[in-house]
Amino acid sequence: MMKIVGIAMALLGWFIPVVSLPLTQSLSARFVASVLGLIISLVGILGVLNQAHLKEAIWKK
Amino acid sequence: MKLWGHYKISWLLAVTCLLVLCGMGAVAQTQAAPAPAATAAAPPPMATDAPLDLKPAGAPSTDDLVKGDPGGTKTGTANDVVVSDTKKGMTLADLINQVGQNRIGINFTWTLITGFLVMFMQAGFAIVETGLCRAKNANHTMMMNFMVYGFGLFAFWVCGFAIQMGGGAPYATLGGASSLNAEHVVTFMGKTWGVFGTHGFFLSGISYDVGVMVLFLFQMVFMDTALTIVTGSCAERWKYVAFAISSVFMGAITYPLFANWAWGGGWLSQLGANFGLGHGYADFAGSGVVHAVGGVTALALSLIIGPRIGKFTREGKPNAIPGHDIVIVLTGCFILAFGWFGFNPGSTLAASGNGALRISSVAVNTMLAGCTGSFGAVLYMWIRYGKPDASMSGNGLLAGLVAITAPSGFVSAVSSAIIGLIAGVLVCVSVEFVDRVLKVDDPVGAISVHGTNGLWGVLSVGLFADGTSNYGGSWNGVSGSVRGLFYGDASQLVAQLVGICTLVGGIFTLSYVSGWIMDLIIGQRSSAADELEGLDIPEMGALCYPEFVLKPEGLRVPAEVAAD
Repeated sequence: MMKIVGIAMALLGWFIPVVSLPLTQSLSARFVASVLGLIISLVGILGVLNQAHLKEAIWKK
Repeated sequence: MKLWGHYKISWLLAVTCLLVLCGMGAVAQTQAAPAPAATAAAPPPMATDAPLDLKPAGAPSTDDLVKGDPGGTKTGTANDVVVSDTKKGMTLADLINQVGQNRIGINFTWTLITGFLVMFMQAGFAIVETGLCRAKNANHTMMMNFMVYGFGLFAFWVCGFAIQMGGGAPYATLGGASSLNAEHVVTFMGKTWGVFGTHGFFLSGISYDVGVMVLFLFQMVFMDTALTIVTGSCAERWKYVAFAISSVFMGAITYPLFANWAWGGGWLSQLGANFGLGHGYADFAGSGVVHAVGGVTALALSLIIGPRIGKFTREGKPNAIPGHDIVIVLTGCFILAFGWFGFNPGSTLAASGNGALRISSVAVNTMLAGCTGSFGAVLYMWIRYGKPDASMSGNGLLAGLVAITAPSGFVSAVSSAIIGLIAGVLVCVSVEFVDRVLKVDDPVGAISVHGTNGLWGVLSVGLFADGTSNYGGSWNGVSGSVRGLFYGDASQLVAQLVGICTLVGGIFTLSYVSGWIMDLIIGQRSSAADELEGLDIPEMGALCYPEFVLKPEGLRVPAEVAAD
């Protein structure tokens, strides 16, 4: 389940800046959307998804 | 005092480095100041009424045949211009056609030869990765690097090339390659988004074209570079069959998709034309397209496959597992640095016209960033651990080269040096982060070298591009030169950030999901028994070094203790 959440966050972080492109002309808004999207993706991958893998890591067995 | 003595040389080197960089900055500032107008050399006068002084075009005289042409002044005459109608003789149209074909011929030759250089990088990657692995896995690691060339090439020929470049024509510097003109687009929120190309499958039909062939060769060797990054991070525990299928998938789908979006006329390249974001996503030679795609895929598969047995203690502390041959590691780094002179300067796809003479600047930028990259890594390791670590020096060189790949065609020499220096430090920090915080096992540091620094390279275009390049007057359909934040165009930085989000969010997800499905069906990881024995015999059926006596696995020392 955590793996799916992590992947969903990674995808969400991509969609946010892409969807912001046609929604706004403001450069600042697009910049914020891009940074926000990047942070969400990174948290999803490095935080959530990686933690899910670490729970079943071979060195813990 | 002992501690000071230990670190004294490191600090002295660091201070020297900073002084050199400050000096470079000062020189750059001085150069930027307006200089008094120099008297340009006047062009020679046009002799419009002078008779046409052609070299003798007839058959060589007996005297010429005896003497030859040691000075090279007689070879190449009007006789060598191709004439369409011998009865009419040479016309102005013949001359103009010859000039045009010469230009395209120069571009073909340049692109092909630089492509050959990039192909040779496969040898560099192969020995770098093999040297950083243990001797018991050398055959397996080498065979992954050897066959990734074939698997990737086949997949790219079947469909990868068409998906990537099938809709991006015209490619003006290569004579057009006009058959590659069918991009599949979708309409989303009132805008059209190019998603993939549809011409060029099997290089057959209308794609049977000389310009298309040049483009295929050059793009194929780039794609193979991305594929071979993954073999490094997954080395020493990846099932060979899983590697084979994964490589075919990446060469057919994952890499071509992003390459289309960035280079094949896809939606990222159109961010400038469609949304007013600078010149769209700009990635001159592929920090993002090649290296970050390889890096994020390497991270995705490393997560799925998991760390090697013995890499982490039960408490999660990382153990250092040194490679077996630092000589071939550093030799491989030299081969890669040599091949990079094909990678970056070749990406002009031209050596004549359209601002292509900037190849000299691109080559020097490449050289400088590699140099400062290794410099940054050596200094970091020296200061932090008291020794200039060899493998990290090699990784620093590669990190600098990876980072300069995207901006190499858009930035100055000083900017290149800065980009490379940051990359050299960044790769060391990233390796420690991946190892100690994420606890992801990456035997060769591929995630940090190619992933982290690939993304840094993409970002640096949005910061350092100086607006002096001019490749035919426009880039990605937007007139003018690419300019980053430091040179007045903040929108270019946003375009680069959208590209980074696509790599991290989109391409990672595609790689992870495909790798996960493959893991469920065939399994990605070799058995524990095979891994402990070494994969050479179980997977490949032969040892790489049959006359070596391999040491049994022993107790390993945690990295922190080893560093002390």
